[in-house]
Amino acid sequence: MTPGPAAPRPARTRGVIALVEESCTVCMLCVRECPDWCIEIDSHTVTLPPDDTHRRPRTEAVLDRFAIDFGLCMYCGICVEVCPFDALHWSPVAEYAATSSAALTHERDRLASWEATVLEPGALDPRAVVDDPGPRRAVRPATGS
Amino acid sequence: MSALAASVASAVVGSSVREGFGPTTIDLPRERWTEALEATAGAGATFFDLLTAYDDGAAGLAVVVHIAASDLRDHLLLRTALPLGDLALATATTVYRGAAWHERETHEMFGIDFIGNTHLDPLLLPAGFSATPLRKEFVLAARAARAWPGEKDPTDEGGRPRRRILPPGVPADWPAAST
Repeated sequence: MTPGPAAPRPARTRGVIALVEESCTVCMLCVRECPDWCIEIDSHTVTLPPDDTHRRPRTEAVLDRFAIDFGLCMYCGICVEVCPFDALHWSPVAEYAATSSAALTHERDRLASWEATVLEPGALDPRAVVDDPGPRRAVRPATGS
Repeated sequence: MSALAASVASAVVGSSVREGFGPTTIDLPRERWTEALEATAGAGATFFDLLTAYDDGAAGLAVVVHIAASDLRDHLLLRTALPLGDLALATATTVYRGAAWHERETHEMFGIDFIGNTHLDPLLLPAGFSATPLRKEFVLAARAARAWPGEKDPTDEGGRPRRRILPPGVPADWPAAST
């Protein structure tokens, strides 16, 4: 820890990356986009039987291992940006120094534990360009019965 | 636009000003490089901060210099594009002597010749190393020595992906060519 009382950290502080396990679909986008190759994912597939919404059996990937090596990570945030399901978030916590390089690899449980420390997003910068594509589908007006 | 940038832009023919989130950037034709550097010094710039380059893909390389005027609390970037076939630029050392070291490193890492700088000896790389490591075409040795974690296909139980995906920044026949 830095000496003295801790100053409040801005919402966009890049301290550590938190994983929301339930949101991860094992799409591998973060692993493939990472310029440092610091994310590793292991998974297996399960076959789910048909149910009310799916008429055929389907396979689903199940996450076995999710690890980020913060000894390699350069905190670019591409993985956080690229995740289509918001399973990765920046946390402001930076106090995770380790005495061995192996201990800088945070496995799934530890990455999930950072989720509680993620801050609410802050306000946009004054000159930020808001890229709002609008509603994806035209909203059908309610028809009177 | 900052006063420093305005006076440099008006003094140099063919320059174009670009304002983004950072300091004002003035794009120059490379023949005007020395003239623009002299214009910054004439407009009150006193502090040469850095000179470096970046790989702009098919467009070639770009050389950037960051100069500040500490009295005016003002700073700007000068930038010029170099096509890949002709990587030569006039030295900045005639205006800012501190640029010598930066040009030496930029020559080593990008292969750019700075005409008039007679001391472009290797600085960091081992003797006889002829590649230019900061260009995008340069493949890191670590990329060939380690398996890419993104090669796994979670939908494929056999472990072999149906369509081989390559990581960005490695040649198509990787890793055979690199090992």
